[in-house]
Amino acid sequence: MATNEATSNVKRIQVRRFKPEEYPEKHYLNEEKGVWAWMTTVDHKKIGLMYLASITFFFFVAGVLAILLRTELLTPARSFMDADVYNQVFTLHGAIMIFFFLIPSVPAVLGNFILPMQLGAKDVAFPRLNLASYYIYVIGALFTLVAIFTGGVDTGWTFYTPYSATTGGNVMAMTFGVFILGFSSILTGLNFIVTIHKMRSPGITWNRLPLNLWGLYATSIIQILATPVLAITLLLLTMERLLGIGIFDPALGGDPVLYQHFFWFYSHPAVYIMIVPGFGIISEVISTFSRKVIFGYWAIALSSLAIAFIGFLVWGHHMFTAGQSSLANMVFSFLTFLVGIPTGIKIFNWLATMYRGSIDLKAPMLYALVFLFLFTIGGFTGIMLGALSVDIHLHDTYYVVAHFHYVMMGGMVMAFFAGLHYWWPKMFGKMYSEFWARIACAILFVGFNMTFLPQFVMGAQGMPRRYFNYIDQFQSFHVFSTIGAYVMSVAFLIMAGYLLHSLLKGKRAPSNPWGSRALEWQAASPPPLHNFHHVPVIINGPYDYHKPMSEFQLGIAASHNGHHHHGDEAVKVEKSEKEQA
Amino acid sequence: MAQPSVTEERLEHLKHYFIDSDQQFEASKMGMWIFLVTEILFFGGLFLAYIVYRTWYPELYLLASEELHTFWGAVNTVVLIGSSLTVAMAIRSAQLNQIKGLIINLYITIGLACVFMVIKYFEYSEKFAKGILPGAHYSYEGIAHEKANIFFSIYYMMTGLHGIHVLVGIGLMVWLVFKAKKKVFHSGYYTPVEITGLYWHLVDIIWIFLFPLLYLID
Amino acid sequence: MSVHHHISSAKFLWGVATSLFILTFITVFVTWIHIPEPWNVVVAIGIAVIKALIVVAFFMNLWWDSKFNVLLFVMSIAFFLLLIGITLLDTLYRVDPVPSF
Repeated sequence: MATNEATSNVKRIQVRRFKPEEYPEKHYLNEEKGVWAWMTTVDHKKIGLMYLASITFFFFVAGVLAILLRTELLTPARSFMDADVYNQVFTLHGAIMIFFFLIPSVPAVLGNFILPMQLGAKDVAFPRLNLASYYIYVIGALFTLVAIFTGGVDTGWTFYTPYSATTGGNVMAMTFGVFILGFSSILTGLNFIVTIHKMRSPGITWNRLPLNLWGLYATSIIQILATPVLAITLLLLTMERLLGIGIFDPALGGDPVLYQHFFWFYSHPAVYIMIVPGFGIISEVISTFSRKVIFGYWAIALSSLAIAFIGFLVWGHHMFTAGQSSLANMVFSFLTFLVGIPTGIKIFNWLATMYRGSIDLKAPMLYALVFLFLFTIGGFTGIMLGALSVDIHLHDTYYVVAHFHYVMMGGMVMAFFAGLHYWWPKMFGKMYSEFWARIACAILFVGFNMTFLPQFVMGAQGMPRRYFNYIDQFQSFHVFSTIGAYVMSVAFLIMAGYLLHSLLKGKRAPSNPWGSRALEWQAASPPPLHNFHHVPVIINGPYDYHKPMSEFQLGIAASHNGHHHHGDEAVKVEKSEKEQA
Repeated sequence: MAQPSVTEERLEHLKHYFIDSDQQFEASKMGMWIFLVTEILFFGGLFLAYIVYRTWYPELYLLASEELHTFWGAVNTVVLIGSSLTVAMAIRSAQLNQIKGLIINLYITIGLACVFMVIKYFEYSEKFAKGILPGAHYSYEGIAHEKANIFFSIYYMMTGLHGIHVLVGIGLMVWLVFKAKKKVFHSGYYTPVEITGLYWHLVDIIWIFLFPLLYLID
Repeated sequence: MSVHHHISSAKFLWGVATSLFILTFITVFVTWIHIPEPWNVVVAIGIAVIKALIVVAFFMNLWWDSKFNVLLFVMSIAFFLLLIGITLLDTLYRVDPVPSF
């Protein structure tokens, strides 16, 4: 074999055409039955669904908390909850949304489900580690529940010292829960990087890797580089409470600003853990529903990595008013502007992809458009906040709240919904009601802007974030914002309704309802336990809409000679014409 | 391909979603390296705290490191480097199909790791007796610096976390001995030995930095 | 599809360990002769870096390993330096570098 490779880098393999089985009787959801089979499964698809159920639960809980907050803010003084309760509720809303919903949402749910399929692999590289990461997530969640029911946490999701080192309640259970959760995130990232490197099907070279995977790859790199620093931060904070080690506590001689450096070294890249996989989804959806080759493949792929890298250089813009040196302030402010460059590159490439495409406004595409619109607003206001002088005025106001909700909810959550609607037929083999999906998307868009646009205005006028009371002049904004939140909850109820209806009584989905060229749509819907009955062979890119569908359905029947893990080796395909009939 | 030999036939370790042993081995090793990346950044946070406080209070570090015994630190460095050597020898034995050598080398490694922990135990208990306790319990009067507690907080966090890693390493090595006795490993499959070795070497490297940073300040 | 499993000779491994023992002795020895500030720190860290690189290259076999694993290691060091370097931009240049309360 060694001599073979020395003479030629090209291997000849026989491929046949495989049409995916339509409406399969046996698939991954019913091949193994019983609760125990689910709980001990190492199948990446089932683990993805288990994550989906968990994050839906947490999204619901944190959403209800948000509604409570907005309701409390209807009146300038106390409406129905006490100030202490209010502090706990906003802390939990932030902490649960970020650590239990946003961070695992795309990688652990959609990534787990889609990543091996887009690679043509049977599973991720370490399936048992994948299951372990789910249970680590559950254990972390249990600790958080313990924290909630044994005193609560009122520090805000950032756990700033010295307050978090001295306040009552059960901060330790909460930080320990998040500490544990970090390992779940690290293991997912580790698994994805190895899988992308080692488990690609023949022909999936780095320039035929779907952009969704480039997004997940960049995300995984951030996860493995940043999350350990969060782990040590929270461990030090736990020790601060347990033993009073004093590194962060000024009362014992420590430095609280140092805590903020530790914390934001993770937590700023963490916002890219949340948003970069969303970029990947948007690339897939926009190309599929514009019926066009993605514009600027490498620009989009590499800008994900660029964002991941620059994201590590800008953490100090959270600390402009915290007392760090003015030199650091200037450097961080300058570096923050750089994030705009790769992000702008992405937006322009998506617009160029849509230009003169035959755009099909199905629900996933609608969510993608909502994403483009809201995320751009979120991005621009972020640049404004990155400007040092402007930030001194806007720091810790509702302007910041509105900014990160435009990025996180308007960007990330919309991208997640785009992905969920896009891959729903693949995941469950059922279609949902297109009509109601569009209605929900429209209501969500209106409700979202009603909620958060007024917050920009009141923030600029000086309404501080996290305040329980406010002066009367802000009441009309707050009332408008609260009504917007109610409108959004209507949209979520509609979504829950049609998705549940789809699960129970939905029309069965064909294997490729959107006519996509990507590899995961060459498997049956829902896929069999090992994804493909053959080893898929890729000769075209995942966005080659100018080529006929038949060129995308190639594979090798025997499963043990085709895979090879040197992706840079070219694969020469010999189609045997006899077998095409 | 790896060395063609009789044991090449043994494939019971091969998971169905991998194509061959090499792919599985390479994937596991890459996974371990990624894990080591997270370990480096995990300890990196503590090194950051160390550096920030050292640039703020260089005189504190001079005074406080007097309390640490350079001799025992050096002995522990030698012990850990020795254990790195035996781990490397263990991997070599596995690669050459010498299961007996593998087990003996693992036993020596476990022994050296235990020596390290015993020395650490005596160092800790000597300090505890003086009142050099971690965090708010610190009550030693012998260092004329108001932030002496911070130095020892950093000391205990760094050496404590390192010690926990040594204990985990001992556990892994005991598990490897059990597996080796069951004849699980052979020249075609020794992945767990290899990646435990990588982990152990990293533990050694962290100590290589902790030793001069904590003990050798003059 | 061939993967090269590097097998070091016992002699080589002993050589690596011996060089590490010698470097350990040197690093202790230089604290006895009291090199002036800041060179004592530079020498101590320098020797530690050399020792660590020897372990990484020849015990952990990164010398013969795939480029991506080397890249991973380099990346972890680079981001560690980034964490320290940028934080020092703040802590070294505060107007009042000593926390005053």
